Amino acid sequence: MTMLALDEVAVHGPQGRIVAPATLRVEPGVPLVILGETGSGKSLLAQAVMGTLPAELHATGAIRLGADALPARDTAGRRALWGRTLAMLPQEPWAALDPTMPAMPQVAEVPRFVAGLPWPAARRAAAAALAAVGLAPAERRFPFQLSGGMCQRVALAATRIAGAPVLLADEPTKGLDAALRDSVAALLAEEVARGATLLVITHDIALARALGGELAVMLEGEIVEQGPVARVLAAPEHPYTRRLLAAEPEAWAPWPHRPAGAAVVEGEGLAKRYGPQRLFTGIDLALGAGEVVALTGPSGTGKSTLGNMLLGLVPPDAGTVRRRGGLSAFALQKLYQDPLAAFAPAMTLGDALAAVIRRHRLDPVLATRLRDRLRLAPALLARRPDQVSGGELQRFALLRALLLDPALLFADEPTSRLDLVTQAEVMELLREVVAETGMALLLVTHDAAMAGKVARRGMALRPETGGA
Amino acid sequence: MIRAVGARLLQAALVAMAVGVACFLMVRLLPGDMAYRVAAGRYGMDHVNTAAAEAVRAELGLDRPWWQLLGAWLGDLARFDLGVSLVSGDRVVEELSVYLGHTLLLAVVALLLSALVGPPIGVLLAMRPGSAADRTGLAVGAVLRAVPAFVIGLVLMMVFAVQLGWLPAAGVGGWREVVLPATTLAIGLAAVSSRVARDAMVAVAQAPYLAFARTKGLPEGAVIRRHALRNAAVPVTAYLGVQLVTLVEGVVIVETLFAWPGIGHALVHAVVARDVPMVQGTALAMGLIFVALNGAVDLACLAIDPRRRRPA
Repeated sequence: MTMLALDEVAVHGPQGRIVAPATLRVEPGVPLVILGETGSGKSLLAQAVMGTLPAELHATGAIRLGADALPARDTAGRRALWGRTLAMLPQEPWAALDPTMPAMPQVAEVPRFVAGLPWPAARRAAAAALAAVGLAPAERRFPFQLSGGMCQRVALAATRIAGAPVLLADEPTKGLDAALRDSVAALLAEEVARGATLLVITHDIALARALGGELAVMLEGEIVEQGPVARVLAAPEHPYTRRLLAAEPEAWAPWPHRPAGAAVVEGEGLAKRYGPQRLFTGIDLALGAGEVVALTGPSGTGKSTLGNMLLGLVPPDAGTVRRRGGLSAFALQKLYQDPLAAFAPAMTLGDALAAVIRRHRLDPVLATRLRDRLRLAPALLARRPDQVSGGELQRFALLRALLLDPALLFADEPTSRLDLVTQAEVMELLREVVAETGMALLLVTHDAAMAGKVARRGMALRPETGGA
Repeated sequence: MIRAVGARLLQAALVAMAVGVACFLMVRLLPGDMAYRVAAGRYGMDHVNTAAAEAVRAELGLDRPWWQLLGAWLGDLARFDLGVSLVSGDRVVEELSVYLGHTLLLAVVALLLSALVGPPIGVLLAMRPGSAADRTGLAVGAVLRAVPAFVIGLVLMMVFAVQLGWLPAAGVGGWREVVLPATTLAIGLAAVSSRVARDAMVAVAQAPYLAFARTKGLPEGAVIRRHALRNAAVPVTAYLGVQLVTLVEGVVIVETLFAWPGIGHALVHAVVARDVPMVQGTALAMGLIFVALNGAVDLACLAIDPRRRRPA
């Protein structure tokens, strides 16, 4: 039983202070969740505790672990505690596992090198740890042969096997769909029930709700609100916490819907397989003008493929896709998941838009009007894609698609890389555009709450049982 | 595994076909009368006259239409018969087996030398990216890569054979003769592989799995040994396949420079003498060496990287 306390822990960079001094206390059995958006400094705070800050940053203050107090600056002293006293569950476990090593040795090497056990004993300990998280049959598999949730459990087994009483988890649900998120929350709750001292960093309100315990809300490097999770979420005091909670899709007003117009694109009997993997068969999907359809389902079920097929970007193995007569291929546009990957990196945004205007002989005045409509400042045009925020860049991507006056927009998880508040802003704009232009919208999302609020009707893809 | 080997065998057959046809056409397209060149090769430059050339032409049937000659060569090839040298009259297969042994010795020693030098230097430089040693390594690597093999060979020859007299400048015999030509080839290979290893190691050092290996509590030695080296070896090994082009190319130049009686040396002489069966035989041997080494690289990649073993 070891409590973890932060005494005036701050993070400084070459340009000055990034995280204001934070004083926090985590008791065994009561998790502390630090909630904040990208850039709020919450991950830096976790790295300051762990002693893994990048070389150009340094921490001040003190970290107390049980009876010991360590200066936050002393990273070497912290490293000696890794695994034994202080453990960290990595972000994105599929990237944190060595791709060239099977699951078992990645766990067994911890008792081998940290506790100094001989290999056979270390392997027995690892087998027991993997069996405890229900992964006994996966011992010999490589990370690429494991699902995201299985990787998460292998990482947890490797993190916990040396018996560290204090566990940090930095964004443990990043990139997971709702079902996996719940299973991670259950795994962490189990650790807490066993008496672990747990500090969780997340942007995910649902995870905080599921874990319970204490909550600290972080904004621009400062903790703005703190208290029991249930109380803070039910009665938020700080305006930022209120804004955050209002931005959750569960809190959105449902989109109004008009009756669907004539079909813009119709797919019939669509099927696709990649190698032996059958994605889907016999799918019928049509979108009428002004209609909003949500496509949901776990990752790997072919949601993006189906959308790309309707756009004519991917040929179907079977079935047909028909576009309404008279519509050019450019009338079907796509909004990509990662806006940064959808723009040429060395070209300014102004040049990128000008290229589209030239290519399609569009009216620059209309383009300017549309840009104002999407609330994009003219000053941003001189910047490169990596010099604007993710939300701004996704609005530029939307602008670029809208320039061609599309009859259908296929939005492929357009907000999955954005923070809650930014996500709400982008989706609100999208709602307005659909209402004003009468275009059809096909939205791929893994967020069932968002799909429910946005779409007139939904389609859920399930993993096909056939194939290998 | 079986698929990889099968693909390489098919490729070997295609290479044999393409090399055969290309050599045949290129030798025909060279300026000068082929019969004269063959006669010169046989009897020496001073004894060539029209009568000797005509005798050669009649004996070898060089006045047949080109497609008959090509068909005859491909037919023989299908029966694994490479024919006889137009110059020496010996069977090409027998001549090749002697040359091939020398070339393989040179290539293997050069590859081993470069593997012992290049990747370890790259890994060491990757420990301190951006340091003075790293920048110096980049500069030296770039210079050595840019300098043609014959210049490196000449410099080595002048220093170690002529000035210092430590090693023979040319010929074949014991291990002393192998050192200079193999080093010449190895320097060019190591200059590239050290850079690939350095970049791979820097990329691996930033990978999340290395950070996780550390926060699991592993000591730094175990982190490097168990997680960094194997992952960095994946691109280095894959790049070796690309480097083999340099090796096969370098063999021709280096063997000629050091009078090393290998395939490359034989190829140059056969071209000069318009000894078509020998040109075809040597080019074929070099093409097949390339395919075989690439196949070996494929298998090594499969052994190192489990992700490639997944059924496609």
